[in-house]
Parts: sequence; structure tokens; C-alpha cells
Amino acid sequence: MFITIAQLIINGLLLGGMYALISIGLTLIFGVLEIINFAHGEFLMLSMYGSYWLFQLYGVDPYLSLLIILPAFFLIGLAVQRVTIQPILNAPPLNQIFMTVGLSLVLQNVALFFWKADYRTVKTAYSAVTLKTSGLMISFPRLVAFFLAMGVIAGLLIFLKRTYTGKAIRALAQERRAAMLMGINVYRTYQIAFGIGIACVGAAGAMLIPVYYVFPTVGGLFVLIAFVVVVLGGYNSLTGALIGGLIIGVVEAFSGFFISPHLKEAIYFVIFILILLFRPTGLFGRA
Amino acid sequence: MKKGINRILMVSLVSLAICISPSAMAAETVRIGALFPFTGTLALLGNESFNGATIAADMVNDTGGLWGKKIEWVKGDGVDPKKAMTECERLISIEKLKLIFGTYSSSLSYAASEVAERNKVIYWEQGAIADPITARGFKYLFRICTKASRHGIIGADFANEVIAPKLRIDPKKMRVAIVFEDSLYGTTVGSNAANQALKLGMKVVATESYSHRTVDLSPVVMILKARNPDVIIATNYPEDGLLFWRQAKDLDLNVKAFIGTGACHSMPDWAKTFGDEGNYIFNSDDPSIGVNPKALSNKINAIRKEYQERFYKKFAHVPITNATMGFESARILFEEVLPRAGSLDPEAIRKAALSLDIPQGGTLFGFGLKFAPPEHPDAGQNVRSHSVMTQWQEQKLWVVHPANFAVRNLLLPMPTWEERRKGITRFVE
Repeated sequence: MFITIAQLIINGLLLGGMYALISIGLTLIFGVLEIINFAHGEFLMLSMYGSYWLFQLYGVDPYLSLLIILPAFFLIGLAVQRVTIQPILNAPPLNQIFMTVGLSLVLQNVALFFWKADYRTVKTAYSAVTLKTSGLMISFPRLVAFFLAMGVIAGLLIFLKRTYTGKAIRALAQERRAAMLMGINVYRTYQIAFGIGIACVGAAGAMLIPVYYVFPTVGGLFVLIAFVVVVLGGYNSLTGALIGGLIIGVVEAFSGFFISPHLKEAIYFVIFILILLFRPTGLFGRA
Repeated sequence: MKKGINRILMVSLVSLAICISPSAMAAETVRIGALFPFTGTLALLGNESFNGATIAADMVNDTGGLWGKKIEWVKGDGVDPKKAMTECERLISIEKLKLIFGTYSSSLSYAASEVAERNKVIYWEQGAIADPITARGFKYLFRICTKASRHGIIGADFANEVIAPKLRIDPKKMRVAIVFEDSLYGTTVGSNAANQALKLGMKVVATESYSHRTVDLSPVVMILKARNPDVIIATNYPEDGLLFWRQAKDLDLNVKAFIGTGACHSMPDWAKTFGDEGNYIFNSDDPSIGVNPKALSNKINAIRKEYQERFYKKFAHVPITNATMGFESARILFEEVLPRAGSLDPEAIRKAALSLDIPQGGTLFGFGLKFAPPEHPDAGQNVRSHSVMTQWQEQKLWVVHPANFAVRNLLLPMPTWEERRKGITRFVE
């Protein structure tokens, strides 16, 4: 029984680490720009495809492809923000939602058009390796993904705390007008924040492709979980997204085993609703 | 004078437009609706099913078509049940079709066929296998392929009649676990497998369902490890089936036999993704997978050959089960039913379909054809349909049961993951 519980905790944390990385981008975007990025999952899908094609065509290992994916997706985030989000920053929230939902549909169908609905994954020398210690099984690619995700998140948190741009982003998230009065270039900072958010989810995609499959609608599966994590952690707290992701991963593993796999998604959606009802700011959010 | 000329010009332009409008063109072709998930999560097999059907239409068109006219497909994209219903509505009321061919996915078929029945339009189901589809007493719905419950039932029967004796396990002590995705398809097959296993007196140690859209199946694998079954009977769609096997390997889940029930485990992607690690699992499936040619009539063997050549030429890959189901369903419609009906009139088609009586070996499936009449509880279902058991060997699927359809011998027990790594097998004779 103890081994089973330990195994469940490990399964949950490894999964939760991925959820955290995907959600932290979403939190950053929502906290700073106050835009709900419904197309977040589609960027995950695009980076999974990007990593896949880099491997298929040039033999680039998915983890190494991070060196390409991170800057590339940062730039993609900048471009998308400039072209689609910036024009509607002052529009009614409903229009903003339509924009990101529309973006999501366009990206899904573009992917479907170019790459069909087939499931693709990457098989590397280590993608099927499992580490066994004292009765516990740890999937090696998932372990690597976990540590890389923690690394990216740690890097992000340090960036936000120590650098000028990072502090500018945090200031903007706290109070937009005061930040403008302090001389912060609002539009440029928005672009950078969005770019970083997309770079994070892009990194998650590169880490996921050895353990999961990409197909045009894979984003939808993950983005729902990301929303739950963002709400659980607090929509303007990055540490909240990290802890929230890990919590959801572990809750999913335990509820799947002890209650029923049938209901494991239902359990965290119930948590989602309870948080919205009783603690809308989330575990770590500020009012 | 000017007004008069303008008026004449107007009238002639409008009549010209009417003359060359699509509905006038339609008199030249036989228009049949094709309602499939052409896009979305089910698109892979939806498109493949339709591809098979197009070969049947091509073969008929190449020999003069139907009643001297070419068959023309009018596509409807049923991405999910709601969309399937609206597309069916559109095909019937706007495209004015009398015959809908589709739809691969059970939940889509169930929803859309309701629309067709209401409008007294023929719904020719080629590949959705859930039982409830033909349990509604519909008069205009026809399905040739095997019902889902058969796939589940044959899984349990196979464990009882074949696996238990071969492995020298008392069937009453055989530990069986049933795993299925929770939509109409998975639930139908899975619950039938569970019921049959219980009826046969086996020990059902787990019945777990999950959403096929999940990103993590480790809880299911963990539960199965804890319950320690001898045999797993699984009903998965492609994405969850592939994920399950991967996580079964990650978490070292070992069983003596794994029986899939179509969908995921009949796809070439299985071998493409897992290579030799996908070998030795069983898969209950529609016989269109490829039964022993000795079980088919000469005429059908010739048709099968032509179909496979044409398919490969057109689509550059070997047809999978779903494509063949699409093909044969369409071929029987075009070559046996519609000529007998004489037109696209639904009442005539109904009569023609119900009059068919094809013996065993007379269809590509190997089994015969006789539709259950409207009073029968399974109205519209081909009562002669049944499943076969196949096994992945050397990265290909082979029919291994029943004996007269079998192409190869079955291999038991399945190696453990450790044994697979070391290349060890210890099959019993």
C-alpha cells in the first residue's frame, strides 16, 4: 500500500510539473494583460509539432530543441500579441474572448490542414526508459520533463524578481496606471509578457512530445486543466500556478486510483467550482 | 422599348441561371450523402472509412455507374453528435438527399440516424458498431457490420474457450479485467464483455472506464496492477489506447493476454508506434480485416483483390479494417441493393435491402447478409454478422479464431515487459 501511495505521488508530481509549466504562461498572460488566452492550448500543440518536425527532419532531440523553441515561441508570442491582442486591449471583454477563441479555432484548423489528424510522437533512445528504484517506477522522459519544467519556472521567477523588465511586468500586473506614471512602456511590456507566456507553453510542448501524442486538437485537453490550475493557484500568482499544477496532478492521480478513473477529471472540476465559490482569489492570489 | 428589352434580358438571365444551377445538374448523377467526421478528433478513421467507400463508387462508376449515371458523394462533416445532426438535416432538407451513408463513430451515428428516420431517409451505417443504434425499431436504418456487443462478447468467449484451456487455467478461476473508454462505443463493448465474462463464471476483478480525452491513464494502470488480472479486455479509441499501452510499459503492467476490441488495436498506428512491443496482443474485430480466402467465394476473392489494388493506387497505403468496412458496405449498397430498388426512393430501397439473402462467404466480411425486419428487436441489423479474433504478430494483424477463418496460429502467453526487453518468449504449444 505504501509503495502504491508513493507511486501515485510520483505519478502525480511528474504530471503536475507539466501542468504547472503550461499554466504558468497562462497566469502570466492573465495577470499582466488581463486577457484569458483561450488559444493557449494551441500554442502547446504548435510547439509539440515544432519539436516533432525538428526531430523528424533534422534529428534534433526534443530536449535540445528547447534551445530553438524557447526563443522562437517568445518571438511568436510577441508577434501574436502585437497583431491580434494589442488592437483589442481596450475592447469589451467579450470581444477579447472572441479574439482568442477565434485564434484557437484558426490554429487548430491550420494544423489539421497541414498535418492531418494523425497522432504523432517522437521515439528517442530514452523515451521508453523507466527507472526502477525500490519498487517504484519512474518514467525517465517524464522525470527529465519535470526537472526541466522546474528549471524554466525557477528561471522565470528569478527573471521577474531580479531584472528590470521582470519588475516592470510585475508592476504592470499590480497597477497599470501607476506603472505608466513610473515611465514603464506599457505596450512593449505587454508584448514581452505575452511572449514569455507563450515561450513557457512552447517549452512544455517540447517536453511533452516524447511522452504524449500531438494531433491538431490536443491543446484543448491541456488548456482546460490549465484553467483549473490558474484559478486554483490564484490568477495573478505564479507560485500559485506552480503549486496549483502540482496539486492538481497529485489529486488526479489519487482520485483516479481511489475513486475512479472515470471521475478523475470531474474531481478537479469540482475543486474548480468550489474555489470559485469560496475562495475566488485562489490559494495564493491577491484580491 | 428599353423597359421591354430589360425585362427580356432579366428573364433570359434568370432562366439561364436556373438551367445551369446545381439542382439541374443533379439529374446527371446519383447523389448520395456521406456523413463522416472528416475533421476533428475522430477524423483519422472517419476519413479512412469514407476512402474505402469511394473505391466502391469508383468501381461502379467505371462500369457505367448506377442506372447509367455516375455516383456523386455529397459530404457532411459530423465532427461531434450535435454537428452530425445539423449536417444530416442540411443534407436532407437543403441538398435534398434520400440516402445517407456514414458514419464510423457510434455517438455520431446514433444522433444523426434519428434525423434521417424522422425524415424517412435511408441511413446506411457502414462502421459504427454500438448496439443501441439498431435497437430503436427504425425502418430506414441498415447496418451490415458486426455489433459492438459481439466484439466484447467474443473477447470473453475467447478468454473462456481458448485462452483458459491453452494456459491450463480453470475458467472459473480466470481473473478478467475490463477497461473501456466511456462514450457509447466503449461502454457498449465494455459492459457486454463484462456481462459475458460474469455469465461464463469468470472472475471479473476490475471494470474501469475513463474519458478518451484524458491525458493520463496512470490511475487505470495502477488499479489494474493492484488487481492482478490474467486477461485484460480493453476498448480504447486510438489516442487513449496508445497512451494506455505506453503507460502500461512505464509502470510495468504485465498480463497473460491482452484483448483489444477494434478501434485503437486494429490501426496500423499500433505497429507504427510500438513496433515489436505491440506484438502478441489480441484484437476482436470485424472480419473485414482479412479472413482466410478459403472462407470466401471466388467472386468475393476477386473483388477483394481489385479493391486492395485500387485502394493502394489511390491512397498509397494498405487499407485498414475501417476502410474495408466502408468499401464493402458501399459495394453491397451499389451492387446488390440499389439496382434491385431501381431508384433512390427510400421505400424501394427498404424493400430491396430486406429481400437480400447472401450466404456465408458471400461478402468480403466472410459472413453472409440478412437484415432483421422492422418487427425484430434488432431492426436493420445484419443478423449473420459476427466478429473474429486477430493477433498482432510481427507487426501485422492476423485472424487466429474461429478456425475456419484463421490465417495463423495464436501465441500465448504474452511476454512480460522484462522478457520483451530481453527478447524472450515462452509460448505454449
